[in-house]
Amino acid sequence: MREPVTGDEVALEPPSPGGNAVLFLLRLLSALLIPVVGFTVMWAAFDFLRDENANRILIVVIAIVVGVGGVLFLYWAMNRAVDALPARFREGVRPYVFVGPALVILGVFLVYPVISTILTAFKDAQGENFVGLDNFRFVFTDPNMLTAIRNTFGWIILVTIFAVGIGLAFATLADRLHRGEAFAKSMIFLPLAISFAGASITWQLIYSFRPEGFGTNIGLLNGIMIGLGQNPVAWLGLEPWNNLLLMVIMVWMQTGFAMVVLSAAIKAIPDEIIEAARIDGASEMQVFRKVIVPSILPTIAVVTTYMVINAMKVFDIVFVQPANAEANGTVVIAERMIRWFFLNGNDGRGAAIAIILFVAVIPVMIWNVRRFREQEEER
Amino acid sequence: MRKLRKMLIFPAVLMLIAVGCTSEEGDGGDGGDGAANQEENTGTVNVLNAMEPEEADAVQALWEETYPDLDYTVDFEASADFEEQAQIRAAGGTLDVILLPQVGTIAGNYVPNGAVSLEDLGIDIDALNAQMSESFVAVGEVDGQHYGIPSNINLKSMVWYPKDDFDAAGYTVPTTFDELNDLAVQIEGDQGVPAWCVGFESGGATGWPATDWMEDIMLRTAGPDVYDQWVKHEIPFNDPAVANAATIFGDVMFKQGNVLGGADQTPAIAFGDAPTPMFDDPPGCWLHRQASFINAFFPEGTEAGVDYDWFPFPPIDQEGILYGGEMAVTFRNAPEVVDFLNKFISDDFQCAMGGETASSRISPSAGVGPDCYVNSILADSSAILTEATQAGTGRFDASDLMPAAVGSGSFWTGMVTYMQNGPDSLTGVLDDIEASWPTE
Repeated sequence: MREPVTGDEVALEPPSPGGNAVLFLLRLLSALLIPVVGFTVMWAAFDFLRDENANRILIVVIAIVVGVGGVLFLYWAMNRAVDALPARFREGVRPYVFVGPALVILGVFLVYPVISTILTAFKDAQGENFVGLDNFRFVFTDPNMLTAIRNTFGWIILVTIFAVGIGLAFATLADRLHRGEAFAKSMIFLPLAISFAGASITWQLIYSFRPEGFGTNIGLLNGIMIGLGQNPVAWLGLEPWNNLLLMVIMVWMQTGFAMVVLSAAIKAIPDEIIEAARIDGASEMQVFRKVIVPSILPTIAVVTTYMVINAMKVFDIVFVQPANAEANGTVVIAERMIRWFFLNGNDGRGAAIAIILFVAVIPVMIWNVRRFREQEEER
Repeated sequence: MRKLRKMLIFPAVLMLIAVGCTSEEGDGGDGGDGAANQEENTGTVNVLNAMEPEEADAVQALWEETYPDLDYTVDFEASADFEEQAQIRAAGGTLDVILLPQVGTIAGNYVPNGAVSLEDLGIDIDALNAQMSESFVAVGEVDGQHYGIPSNINLKSMVWYPKDDFDAAGYTVPTTFDELNDLAVQIEGDQGVPAWCVGFESGGATGWPATDWMEDIMLRTAGPDVYDQWVKHEIPFNDPAVANAATIFGDVMFKQGNVLGGADQTPAIAFGDAPTPMFDDPPGCWLHRQASFINAFFPEGTEAGVDYDWFPFPPIDQEGILYGGEMAVTFRNAPEVVDFLNKFISDDFQCAMGGETASSRISPSAGVGPDCYVNSILADSSAILTEATQAGTGRFDASDLMPAAVGSGSFWTGMVTYMQNGPDSLTGVLDDIEASWPTE
């Protein structure tokens, strides 16, 4: 869109001061009004389609055809409408017509829920009356919440260190394999394909425990314990080590992701640099520390951010364990949020916990944006 | 082509989101505003329930056989994800009648979503109290109005034992709590194994079987009135009466060699696996306290009355019987719905259901005697339940009636902590549960 389609000279001129205000108004209107009108039109169409007795598949087909076609038509129509504008506004307005719907969707599905959650966090269990800071007082005094905050910190730090560290080690070493690199990497990458809940259940084959008298132990760890002549251990009740055992599951799943991304970054380092370092007499360790790691630092940062956010959100692994998370001290923040919001039916507390998570992500995001800017400056 | 595809993706995503929106909007509509005035007969009554499919089929067939000439049809719709479905459809206003096992959620989930009170339906509460027992009917009471008709009841106070070995060893069924404890000591002496098999693990719900133990003991030590106060939080959770019950529970659990694996292991033993050592040869344990559903978890090929049997959990300081159950909650006030309810809970139909082998339902009605049941376990349970509810010593499972934060939260957790940390942790455990009780 850099070249005005019309080739009209006016569009390239700086707009006059009076035109600026009009242009701004037109931009605003087109960005907000047109999508709203579009949605209203589609809404009416959906209402028509909501007939309970109609064939479901038929409804879906019609909905997609009308919907997709409708949206396409809307964009086309809006584009035509922009064409009809005075030439000097045209290219100023056009981008907003296309960005507008995205802004509205962002507002409805991101901004509104955030504001609503913040408000709910100051309300009571039913989300009706304001109760001031009560919910936050609960968040920072309830013993289970404090354990959850402590544990989540543990998850963030340990899972990130181990997943990124092991991933980096694998990526570096796999790079040197003469044969079977793809196979080795696939094996490590494979667990990523499993859902968290599925992985957590799968790890029961390792942590499962049955006391004597209740049949054979099917857990690998207890198989080893019995093989060594020891008594079986209820691993998931073993505070505080049970937290580490659960973190192992996430490390197992996420290492593959770190490895693949880092491996790609390592392969992108020009061979000349490494060759030059070697010719200058650098040891392999020095090459790794002084050449490879600094070269892929931006990638490491991205992977680390991903791990931190993932660890912060951990829920399923803890939730599906066959044990009482509260009594075993394995609670985490996201799990508390689900429990309070949905299972205990306390909207206020659930929202307050959600906000803790939300606020905790902010420093990571700031760090990320800052790093990104620095990188851009370097270019 | 690629360009076109790209152009289509965004609208397609938009569309999906929008479709998601509308369907949500459709579900979240004003849930039938519980009108007191009766609506027209629509010709069908949908009965959403959580029965096993075979059981629902049997009830459906029986209904059609019993009432062939009605001006409406009844559809017993069994749903595997009943709890979710019922809530969604309640909010959407598309329910007629549900048979709700989670009776504790009536006030929170269903009354605000259009449940119609029995008073509005014109159902005689006094007659219902007489038929179904006041304590059960009161479970469905919210702000002075009643919303549930007891439709199924099950016995929780059951102690299971390996009958063949038990008889061969010459033991007799205990009739008091002291006799039960003496029997446990005797078994340990004779057999060299712990008497009790206990398991409290149940995934995210770990700890609930322990709350049943507590409730059984609480009811038999403090009595039904204090039990009711406990459920309604009219006495604190760390009241001496509760502490006493928990101590007696602890005496059974923590006694050296009384529980297979030891009390601290019980939260790691799945409740369904817990009774299996009873069927080892020789038995690895001899007693297991669990509600009537547990024989579905017994090893294949074991037979009631031969390989295993049960006796009611004996009285301690007084009589008491713990039960769970299901209530019919109504969402549409129409003549055919009321007619269905009256016919469905009638003693005749409830008795006929006992004749179905696929049914494991027990009628809460006093008018449905043990003779109605072809299954001997159901018949015996029915006799005990009827006697207890009519005598006023039967009580509904407390944890199901307490607020979710306690009844399916801190109470479970507290019992697990108690088992893991031993008798000294009791005061702290009860204080924690008390502190977790939601303030209004």
